[in-house]
Amino acid sequence: MIKVEENKLPQHNLRTEKFLQPKRLHLPLSQHIGKPSSPKVKIGEKVEEAQVLAEPEGKVSSYLHSPARARVLSIDNFNHPLLKRAEAVILECEEGKREYSLRKNVDNLSKEELVEIVKKKGIVGMGGAAFPTYIKLSPPRTIETLIINGCECEPYLSSDYRLMVENTEEIFRGVEIIFKILQPKEVFFCVEENKPEAIKKINLFLSLKKFRIGNSKLVVLKSQYPQGGEKQLIYRLKNKKVGWGKLPYDFGCVVHNVATCFAIYEGVYLDKPLIERVVTFAGRSLAQPKNIWVKIGTRLRELFERKILEFKEEPQKIILGGPMMGIAVDSLDYPILKGTSGVLFLSKEEVDVEDEKNCIRCARCVDACPVNLLPLEFVKRVKKQEFNRLKEIYIQDCIECGNCAFSCPAKIPIVHYIKVGKSYAT
Amino acid sequence: MPLNISASPHIRSKINISWVMRQVVIALIPVIIASIILFKERAIFLILNCVTTCCLTEKLIAKIRKKPSPLKDWSAVVTGLLLAFSLPPTIRWYAASIGSVFAIAVGKQVFGGLGYNIFNPALIGRAFLVAAYPKMLTSWVEPFSLQAVTSATPLALRKFSHIITPLSSLFWGNIGGCLGETSAFCLILGGIYLLVRRIADWRVPLSIIATVGVISSTFFFINPLNGSFLFHLFSGGMLLGALFMATDPVTTPVTKKGRFVFGIGCGILIMTIRYWSGLPEGVMYSILFMNALTPLINKYTRPKRFQ
Repeated sequence: MIKVEENKLPQHNLRTEKFLQPKRLHLPLSQHIGKPSSPKVKIGEKVEEAQVLAEPEGKVSSYLHSPARARVLSIDNFNHPLLKRAEAVILECEEGKREYSLRKNVDNLSKEELVEIVKKKGIVGMGGAAFPTYIKLSPPRTIETLIINGCECEPYLSSDYRLMVENTEEIFRGVEIIFKILQPKEVFFCVEENKPEAIKKINLFLSLKKFRIGNSKLVVLKSQYPQGGEKQLIYRLKNKKVGWGKLPYDFGCVVHNVATCFAIYEGVYLDKPLIERVVTFAGRSLAQPKNIWVKIGTRLRELFERKILEFKEEPQKIILGGPMMGIAVDSLDYPILKGTSGVLFLSKEEVDVEDEKNCIRCARCVDACPVNLLPLEFVKRVKKQEFNRLKEIYIQDCIECGNCAFSCPAKIPIVHYIKVGKSYAT
Repeated sequence: MPLNISASPHIRSKINISWVMRQVVIALIPVIIASIILFKERAIFLILNCVTTCCLTEKLIAKIRKKPSPLKDWSAVVTGLLLAFSLPPTIRWYAASIGSVFAIAVGKQVFGGLGYNIFNPALIGRAFLVAAYPKMLTSWVEPFSLQAVTSATPLALRKFSHIITPLSSLFWGNIGGCLGETSAFCLILGGIYLLVRRIADWRVPLSIIATVGVISSTFFFINPLNGSFLFHLFSGGMLLGALFMATDPVTTPVTKKGRFVFGIGCGILIMTIRYWSGLPEGVMYSILFMNALTPLINKYTRPKRFQ
């Protein structure tokens, strides 16, 4: 693992604002790992906030809800950061705000009922991968270790930090629900040491002892990248290597992001589906970085048109996600998805890279790789088009964390070569 | 708004090849100073000669190959300095120039330039000169007085005259020898800089020095005329080789285990040559030999898969 310049200021210390009155929303049917949801509304139909727009298709999929009172404008292809173009429900929002009341009988809900609520509320992992959460809550074997991930190791991002500081109680309520479902032997809250307020808050709430979360403790980890990766956390805490093709539950572990815990709280206590999230907007092209509660489906362009965000200078790159693993997009016409924890508007000086040079075999990539690979060999073989010799050096193990390319003094875009290699590897 | 949509990661560290090479040059500054104090104008001429010839050769070949000028990466400067340091101060100017051309042209550019060479270019240059001008490469002068002496390096004195040079002379550099190898103090200073800045990996120098330590201490115990550990550490090209040549990234293993293997191999070879061959010194051949084994070492020391 490596030290990366954090660049979390000033957004780290900025209170979360709200922007919950978008005019239009673009909701891709695929915002999660698995099959796209199938739409259950018709064009022209009026929908209420929290109404189901689409239902899961197959075993690994998710519900999708309307983030606002709206009219279905169309169901059409729209920009998608991962899939380029993908089917989306496009809504024209109308006036009106829905109130959510607190559910009283939470204690009486059974495990199965709780899992069902999590499924019905369209909750997916909010750290980035967007794996449907109900699946992680119904593992085929017993879970010993529950890890609550508040590492947020990607530079720039601060949405999880703000949530941990501003909504600590809700996160704990969410953890309580997960605890009730999984009944783990131990619970670890993991936070990097660069988040002092969150550490204080979590310690305080742990000391209150009013939450039923069993044997739980806070683990303050060194700030390094990719500390918050699922595999890295499990290795760090339990010394178990979740290798390629393995899942955390194979080792009795499960990892949930803090924002997911918050969404579970809202789903169970407020009967509110996952329709909003905190997103960090940062990067030197912005006049002012911000953390904002936005509706899922809000287009970036609207945030600028409505003067929520402003450019100081023209951005060179717009990134959905963090600077190490996020995806660069080609315009402002992309929506916030359930898994979008940040959007970065990077200036020329932040992204400027020299031309690629020859590898000098300095092995900085080898030293930086968290999964023991020799990244320079992938580059060599991909350049020679030896695609049949990539799996023998375990290209499939690569988690694309970006450490190798970040560290490379020859400025070789190693992850790019690896992605190409993975798509051709035989 | 034209946007760049290249693959992640979208931010990069500030270091580049040129920075890395400049760090090596900075680490060599104490050695440059020591060589000038010890060998006066001879040092200045030899260093300038080698560095300039290396740079010119590099530039010329890049021009012939129609490649952008590679001088910005500073690697030719490093090669020039290291070559100058591994030659006797009395070497004739044309020999040093020919060696420099050979180092860059055959040691590096023939393979395709920086990053593709198998052997350390400076050592290739020196190896060529040892073969081409054996007499010049074994004539030494005393520091300060610059008086010519015959076979006066401490290693030769030990091997052929059974005289052990005092450690303090070895440490400060008041001995006959190649331009940059005499002052152990300055080499260690530069080496520490390289290690602290993480330009060189500690595994290689440590394993060379530890191996030499074990072997030389054992033989010192048998017969003090074999020379103590510190004698072997501070004499000849040991420190220059271990700290600056065996740590060249291009020609040494990329795996951590491999770096230990490389260092231990170098250490064993150095001591074997020093004790049992016809030569008093063996750092150059040991490193070159291990350079040749590097691809093999990489192959058999792959890190354990994450699973």
